Amino acid sequence: MNDKSLPAIYITNLEKEFYGHRVLSGLNLSVSEGETFTILGKSGTGKSVTLKCIVGLLLPDKGEIFVKSKPVNPKDHKTINEIRKGIGFLFQGGALYDSMSVRENLTFNLRRHRKISIDEANEKAEHYLTLVGLANAMDKMPSELSGGMSKRAALARALITEPEIVLYDEPTTGLDPITSVEISRLISEMHNQLKVTAIVVTHDILCASIVSNRAGVLDGGVLKYTGTLNELAAVDDPDVAGFFKRAF
Amino acid sequence: MKKFFENIYEMTSFSLRFFKELPLPPYEAQEFVKHVENFGLRSFPLVSVIGILMGLILALQTRPTLERFGAESFLPAMVAISVVRELGPVITALVVAGRVSSGIGAEIGSMRVTEQIEALEVSSIDPYRFLVVPRIAAGIIALPLLTAYADLLSIIGAYAVTFISGGTSWQLYASSVISSLTVADIVPGLAKTFIFGYIIAAVGSYFGFNAYGGTTSVGKAATASVVFASFLILITDLLAVKVGILIFE
Repeated sequence: MNDKSLPAIYITNLEKEFYGHRVLSGLNLSVSEGETFTILGKSGTGKSVTLKCIVGLLLPDKGEIFVKSKPVNPKDHKTINEIRKGIGFLFQGGALYDSMSVRENLTFNLRRHRKISIDEANEKAEHYLTLVGLANAMDKMPSELSGGMSKRAALARALITEPEIVLYDEPTTGLDPITSVEISRLISEMHNQLKVTAIVVTHDILCASIVSNRAGVLDGGVLKYTGTLNELAAVDDPDVAGFFKRAF
Repeated sequence: MKKFFENIYEMTSFSLRFFKELPLPPYEAQEFVKHVENFGLRSFPLVSVIGILMGLILALQTRPTLERFGAESFLPAMVAISVVRELGPVITALVVAGRVSSGIGAEIGSMRVTEQIEALEVSSIDPYRFLVVPRIAAGIIALPLLTAYADLLSIIGAYAVTFISGGTSWQLYASSVISSLTVADIVPGLAKTFIFGYIIAAVGSYFGFNAYGGTTSVGKAATASVVFASFLILITDLLAVKVGILIFE
């Protein structure tokens, strides 16, 4: 299957288990070009696993994933590397390279994959760090940054290569409510400016309400409900309703 | 037991992958230089102390015995041969394994638990080529140099004992050392240090790479790196001695 008319991200019947414990059991998802889709769900429901399958960090047991109509197969190094070059990934803990300064974290990927001069790379790094409000932390090491600053730096790193798709793994986890809202707004602004397709994995409804066009609730290894947040809030299911009640 | 052999198999495949990846671009020259510095230059103070102490202790221990047989003039040759063939390579490798292998295990292990290795993968950068190949190459280059340096310091350390005890001149001592050493002493002694350097970096990288399971796994990776690297150094030395005898004698 290699259909050019497929959505930007298309997942069909995705299954994944770890040590006999089934995490995903037939997940289907399609995210259109320019759309921001939020996967909501309690901890341990397979939200991060889904993202890692999309970028080929995990090999699904069953099912197919297409990114920009290209099949994701971690064993096909050439194709997966091509797919990954078009994806920005924000890890839950930031995953900044701790042996490099913030500036180097940003310019590292750029300089490896694009033949650009160090001055151009620095200029871009400065631009993206300014966008996330970290212009004055360029030469700091990751160990010198607070949790919120690390997330901002990681966000800038995910966006500096100007990817067509961005995947966010719990962008607001571990942050105070004010910083969470700031990060969520930042993501939303970035999407408006850069017109990216995105999947945001979170259990923070407030973040979801700021960033997403559409959302789905992951439960029992499948996306149980999908729709706008208002549609999900109206779902007559105690688990989903509880989710919304806890948040507001 | 099955798990043990699985580990050995995985570690072997992981280590041998180095030879497949080494000739392939991109060449991580900057990383290589950084790791030579970490492996080699930063080990210099420790290796200096160990080298001198090794010579001092060896001379202090053997001089009385040699005197008993009226053979103290053999001390320079005895020290030179023991150090160049065996003590220098093995003790330097064990000391460097304690410092570097654990460091590599902990560093790569913490990169694993904080998802930095996954971040490299997502950026289309092969973590093995970026993290492991330069470290092993640095180990292979740096350890022979460190060993040669430690050997030299040991011989100088042993001279200090000889000088204090009998007042032998440096010229006499040095010419005795040089005349006693043959290719059969120097080549096997240095050749095995290339393998020891490879083991130290490969074992540390392997345990770091497989440090799944939170921060405790980082500590475990560091400990396992030193234990396994030391064990493999001694086993390799045993085999290298046997091979050296077969080839040179």
